[in-house]
Amino acid sequence: MSAPGKTEPLELIVRARTGDTQAWGDLYREFAPAIFRFCRRAMPTKEDAEDATMEIFMKLRDKIEQYDQTRSFTAWLYKVAANHCWDMLRRRKLRQDKETEDVTEMPLECPEPNQLEKLIEERTSEEVRKALDKLGVRARMALVMRYYSDMSYDEIADALGVRRAFVGVVLLRARHELRQAMGQNSALAAGGLR
Amino acid sequence: MSQSELTSGKQGDGKHLDEMTLLLYVERQLDRENAQEVSLHTQTCTRCLTLLRVLDRESRLLTRAMFEADEPLPARLAEFQAQVKRSMRWIWGVVFGLAMLGIYALYTGYIEPWQMQLEQAGFGSTNLLNLLLFQGAFWKGWQSMFTLLEAIALMATMGVALFAFRRYVRRGSALAMMLASLGVMVSFASPASATETRKGDTVEIKKDEVIKSDVFLSGEHVRILGTVEGDVYAFGQQVDVSGHVNGDVFCFAQSARVSGQIDGSLRSFANNLTISGTIEHSVLAFNQVINLDSNGKVGRSMTMFGETATLDGKVDRDVLAYFKQLSVSGTIGGSLQGKGESMSIGSGAVISGSTKFQGPKEPSVASDAKLASPVQFKLAEHKSSGMRGSGYYIWRVIFTGAFVLLGLVLISLMPKFAMETVQAAENLGASFGLGVLVLPGVFIAAIVACITVVGLLVGISAFFLWLFVLISAEVVVGSVVGQWIMGKSTELWPLVARMAVGVIAVRVVTSLPWVGGWAALAVVLWGMGAVSLALYRRLQPVMAPNIPSVPMGPMGTPLPANTTVGGV
Repeated sequence: MSAPGKTEPLELIVRARTGDTQAWGDLYREFAPAIFRFCRRAMPTKEDAEDATMEIFMKLRDKIEQYDQTRSFTAWLYKVAANHCWDMLRRRKLRQDKETEDVTEMPLECPEPNQLEKLIEERTSEEVRKALDKLGVRARMALVMRYYSDMSYDEIADALGVRRAFVGVVLLRARHELRQAMGQNSALAAGGLR
Repeated sequence: MSQSELTSGKQGDGKHLDEMTLLLYVERQLDRENAQEVSLHTQTCTRCLTLLRVLDRESRLLTRAMFEADEPLPARLAEFQAQVKRSMRWIWGVVFGLAMLGIYALYTGYIEPWQMQLEQAGFGSTNLLNLLLFQGAFWKGWQSMFTLLEAIALMATMGVALFAFRRYVRRGSALAMMLASLGVMVSFASPASATETRKGDTVEIKKDEVIKSDVFLSGEHVRILGTVEGDVYAFGQQVDVSGHVNGDVFCFAQSARVSGQIDGSLRSFANNLTISGTIEHSVLAFNQVINLDSNGKVGRSMTMFGETATLDGKVDRDVLAYFKQLSVSGTIGGSLQGKGESMSIGSGAVISGSTKFQGPKEPSVASDAKLASPVQFKLAEHKSSGMRGSGYYIWRVIFTGAFVLLGLVLISLMPKFAMETVQAAENLGASFGLGVLVLPGVFIAAIVACITVVGLLVGISAFFLWLFVLISAEVVVGSVVGQWIMGKSTELWPLVARMAVGVIAVRVVTSLPWVGGWAALAVVLWGMGAVSLALYRRLQPVMAPNIPSVPMGPMGTPLPANTTVGGV
């Protein structure tokens, strides 16, 4: 799951485990921007993202011993971050999504491919980001985990506390919410595209 | 997804695959068999192929949107980075050692001598705070209860401090350095003192002796016969000032007598105080018995708390007395205001200003006493909460208006903070919990600050802040209650209207007999907690402008979209 060509910072991790403060500083410098950006996408406000970033790195100090060096550090770090952010959101009772059972019961209309294509072509990244901010907490969290940190369905299921089979449903519903937010007045928003 | 699931995923007449199946295919979540079926289908079905490609593009758009618009790492996080890098856990060991050193030095250098001095003075107290507030010659009994309350309050203060500064405690090097500095400062501060100290069974400043600095005197018998050009801090069973003090006198004694001259003020904490000399400035006295002899003179005002007071001498300005029994036969240049059980004004009394007394019975006034105006007597009534006169309710209405006005001013001046406070108040548990800590904690902390090295300015400021928050608590709770009644609003005037309605509702509830007091306490705890919570959130470091971004590492590179679609 790590970025292509990226070397895992194994040496830094080994040194950090021994309490090398220089190594901690280097790890922070290398990974903090990406984790902050992850939090910025996942959390409702910038202040929340800052808090979450700091807390994730403080948590990292305690959890670094649990890291399995045979696996991707980046993936593991994102998992820690996702779990932390989701915990924060859950603690604050900001979950606005419906329960999984409700999600599965609500049918989703299949969009008209051409209209969906037109919508996606017309939307800029900025508009997508604005639409993301309007999503429910779980929908946004799922999209961020999948399309920002490239987490697997198993990892997303684990973080969100849902069965793996529901992850696809959560993601699809999140996409529908996003489309609705991107084009409030389009026919897509009504879900009647066939 | 199984074959049957995939089949059931076909829509309508079974010619097209559903969106979920295509999404799972795009996401590479289908097993090999189903993936092949989708691949085969999309080779012949234009609609499904188009939808597949659109979903793929949607994935790419999402990934691109999330990676673009890079925000600089906020200054707060850059600071945190520096702290992570510089973090030195070992410093806590050093700090602990230094703190212990400081505490030991503080105890041996200050607390123990003071304790001994106070004991010699007849105050068997465990600490100064305890002495000043909760026990001693002025209030007897209740000692164990107050000690318990004091301990709880101090623990609450520590809890509040830890809660308020937990973020900084976590990032502890700044706190560590502060503690270390404090420890070192306390350790080395003592030798730098220029104040002269004398102690013994009998301590005396002889008649022809002149001390040119402040002086600490402690002993069973303390006598000042000579001249002190600075302030005097006297601790003893008997303290006698018959010499000349150019500065102030702070006196802790069982029995104190001033027959000489004090150019400054007298602050007396004693069982018995007799003034037969001259005090150029004012007198503040917490005494069981106080006598201003006929020869005694106070150049400015007198403020007294205790049991019995006799004023036969002369006070050039006002007198404020809270005593059980007050007897006046001397001269008061200003007004006299007394509150207690009885007051008598003797034949030789001269009071140039107004005379007011509040007590259970009218004061006795000699016929030949010279008063500038008749005594204004106010009967001290002890009404039960169930027997309230109309005046009570009129004042409640007036105060309700005042609270609404206060709320209007606060919301107008600080609309954003007002909103934040109301939001904090909606978090009932946290607000109440914090209120329980803040109500006694900050008050005690302010007093501690006043009487320790922290200083009066900090202590008094903290006290007034505490008082202001206490008064504002009703406005905060009123705003929340108003929103419950009228619905939420984020605009100024609707918020003011809700606050007004809520304050009226709260005032009505707190005016109810029997339960009103408890409701008022709940309002205070809730409101104070909410303000504290909002303040705490506000005090978190904010992002500084123009802080350059930390260079992006390899993780800053957008990940490739997970969109490989086999066979398409």
